[in-house]
Amino acid sequence: MPAELLTFAQLVLNGLALGAAYALVALGFVLVLNATGAVNFAQGDMVMLGGYAAVALARALPVPGLLLLPLVMAAMAGFGLLFSALAWRPFRHRPPIFGLLATVALGLALQEAMNALEGAGPQAGPALLGVGEIRLGPLGLSRASLGILLACLGLGLAQGWLLGRTQFGRRLRASAQDPVTARALGIPVDRLIAVSFMLAAALAGAVGLLLSGPYFVTPTSGTDLILRAYIAVAIGGWGSLRGAVVGALLIALFESVVAGYASSVAATAALYGAVLLLLMVRPSGLFPAPLGRRA
Amino acid sequence: MMRPASLVGLAIALWLLVVLLLGSGYEQRLMALAAGYALMAIGYQLVFGQAGALSLAQGACFAIGAYTAGILGGRLGWPLWAELPAVVLVPAALAGLAHTPVRRLDGHFFALATLGFAVLVRLVAVDAQGLTGGANGLVGVPAFGRGPGAMLVGWSLVGLGAALALWLTRGGNGPALALVRGDADLARASGLDPERIRARGFVLAAGFAGAGGALQAHVLGLVSPDVAEFSVMVGCLAMVVIGGRGSVMGAVLGALLIGHLPEWLRPLGASYRVAYGLGLFACLLVAPAGLIGSLERFWPMRRAARPVAGQRAAPAVATLRIDGVEKSYGGIAVLRDVTLEVRPGEIVGLIGPNGSGKTTLVNLISGLDRPDRGTISLGERRLDRLSPDRIALAGVARSFQTPAPPDGMAPLDLVTAALAAKRGCAGFGAAAELEPLQGRAADLLQRAWSTDIARALALDPAVLLLDEPAAGLDAGERDRLGLLLRALAAEGRGLLVIEHDMGFLMGLVDRVAVLLDGRIALIGTPDAVRADPGVRAAYLGTVPC
Repeated sequence: MPAELLTFAQLVLNGLALGAAYALVALGFVLVLNATGAVNFAQGDMVMLGGYAAVALARALPVPGLLLLPLVMAAMAGFGLLFSALAWRPFRHRPPIFGLLATVALGLALQEAMNALEGAGPQAGPALLGVGEIRLGPLGLSRASLGILLACLGLGLAQGWLLGRTQFGRRLRASAQDPVTARALGIPVDRLIAVSFMLAAALAGAVGLLLSGPYFVTPTSGTDLILRAYIAVAIGGWGSLRGAVVGALLIALFESVVAGYASSVAATAALYGAVLLLLMVRPSGLFPAPLGRRA
Repeated sequence: MMRPASLVGLAIALWLLVVLLLGSGYEQRLMALAAGYALMAIGYQLVFGQAGALSLAQGACFAIGAYTAGILGGRLGWPLWAELPAVVLVPAALAGLAHTPVRRLDGHFFALATLGFAVLVRLVAVDAQGLTGGANGLVGVPAFGRGPGAMLVGWSLVGLGAALALWLTRGGNGPALALVRGDADLARASGLDPERIRARGFVLAAGFAGAGGALQAHVLGLVSPDVAEFSVMVGCLAMVVIGGRGSVMGAVLGALLIGHLPEWLRPLGASYRVAYGLGLFACLLVAPAGLIGSLERFWPMRRAARPVAGQRAAPAVATLRIDGVEKSYGGIAVLRDVTLEVRPGEIVGLIGPNGSGKTTLVNLISGLDRPDRGTISLGERRLDRLSPDRIALAGVARSFQTPAPPDGMAPLDLVTAALAAKRGCAGFGAAAELEPLQGRAADLLQRAWSTDIARALALDPAVLLLDEPAAGLDAGERDRLGLLLRALAAEGRGLLVIEHDMGFLMGLVDRVAVLLDGRIALIGTPDAVRADPGVRAAYLGTVPC
């Protein structure tokens, strides 16, 4: 393989691992969005919290990250329940902007709380599958990236199965599409919404652990993630699961490749420039939700 | 009696006076910095609080203002009088440029686009060393100094800005803006152009933010890249939410509180910012209308508007012509070669089974959607290429099948908004006085059967499109509606009425058009339509009449 092509393939591979992590954040965001119509701007901060949970657990229990993963996810699911009671229940009958601002406020409080507890410096979390690099022919893939890819694939498939193939998923989708009718049919809509917050938080916890190893965690590390997830969900068509995953992968590939050939500053500038261009051409994203108003 | 906003304004003025006369240099400097935030927040009320667009670029415009001041006033040594227009115009022009390509975006897509703009501004601030000084920022900006001077200059600017913002949103603009942020489609049908109004709000807001940022640069004597951080935007959101969304005085109050919060919470040490986040959350929880809005809830209600009959001048009459209109969605033809006329003073009924294309036809006439082929015109004027708001102002108004007034909007405000639009209100700036509009709106509400018909009548239309106006009415109410519709026709207006209630419709209309599978199957007098065997079989046969 010529060297040029090899570099490109390596950049794509790195981008895929990062994109998988972005996709999980975006999936958690879309899960809550679809269940409640609410925009959870604290999803990134939940990832950050999950990262610190992983750091703390790894201090107490020196076992491989793979064993800590369910623990972190369970703890974050509990936090998700608390979060839904604070950021969703009191605001469900108000215009959506209030719920959005409430998640911004709580996310801010979370960031500052971790800043006060752990300081602003980066902390390293546990590695999922050990450290080092695996050779795939001429390409290299770090064990951390491999772990992220595998875990994201597994969690993504599990979420797809849960939403698409189970009675629980059908009820969840029904109550998201039409909460009033769902309630009339005896579906416990409020409980399902609380569960979707728990799932979203558990996903965030998983990402937090996955990223805390190779990329470290700081109190503000959620901010970049939520911006990426927000872009992914918006260009993916605001509410489409498939669109969110595709959007997240596109963003990460774009960033990885542009950063590889130019600089990370150029990558950020190009990313937002490209998003603006995309929105000009397709004002409702790549996979727009079928909209219609019965006038 | 004084309104809460005026009382709060008085309290703020007293607070400023005390700090000016008795405060330390440090306290006066804090006040001068708060003035910069206040200008940013007042501007943000225009785009977010009033026009209802969630812009995430207000912090970035603040930064542009600060850097403009730093470059022009600091590095190039421009005098203040030359710099002042620039710090307002540069951010406004950049915001206008950034907004033009994304003006069609709504809701979260708009928020994302403005966020993209903000990220690009931050990149320039941090990385364009030559222009912005990069991580070092810009130093040597002429400082107003520590004394009362900076505070006086800052709060004079706030006073000017507040007066300008109040003027921009006065009179009929208020209800019109409430309608734009409540329901964009309903606003369009009422003759308002939400895209243009949001664009104006965005550019105006950028100008205010620029002045605020420049003020900060001159108070600090430097520009640091921190000014472009997203926390400035979050602070701006917090100011308008805590102060009271939409209120100029609320923005000033919010800016004063947020500006002083670090000082007041200093005893908490490093964790004060946790309290800031939680305090913002608590405010959203217990006082969602903000401090000003919460005060207003406990204030005596305003005097009810007294109906004032408008001069019933004859409306401009014209014939609505629909000629060969076709429309399909995703390959399925919904309307095929529809040709129909509604003449002045005529009531035309439009009937057809569910799914035959009735509402689609009304949507095409009112501009919510465009026909694939064919023309629609009112008199000599082509309508099929106009936007919904132009069509509404040109003389074709519509009512909606399931009218739902936007959250928290009173019927009187809804009708007032349409009246203001008819008088050329553009959301910001010159507008008709509120009280005469409200009197006229109260009169229309008294006359019309429903709020939505009153809203349509406020546009003084030559042609009125009514989508199932009798749905859900009892016999007595239907009679009253029938009388109203006949009276409107007698004024020379043409009416196109979609209705399923055959008894009501057949007794009302001059002609009936029958729509079957997207085609006009028959047009004729009620008797002729009743007698037609095809129509009976397809449609009337299922209704006992």
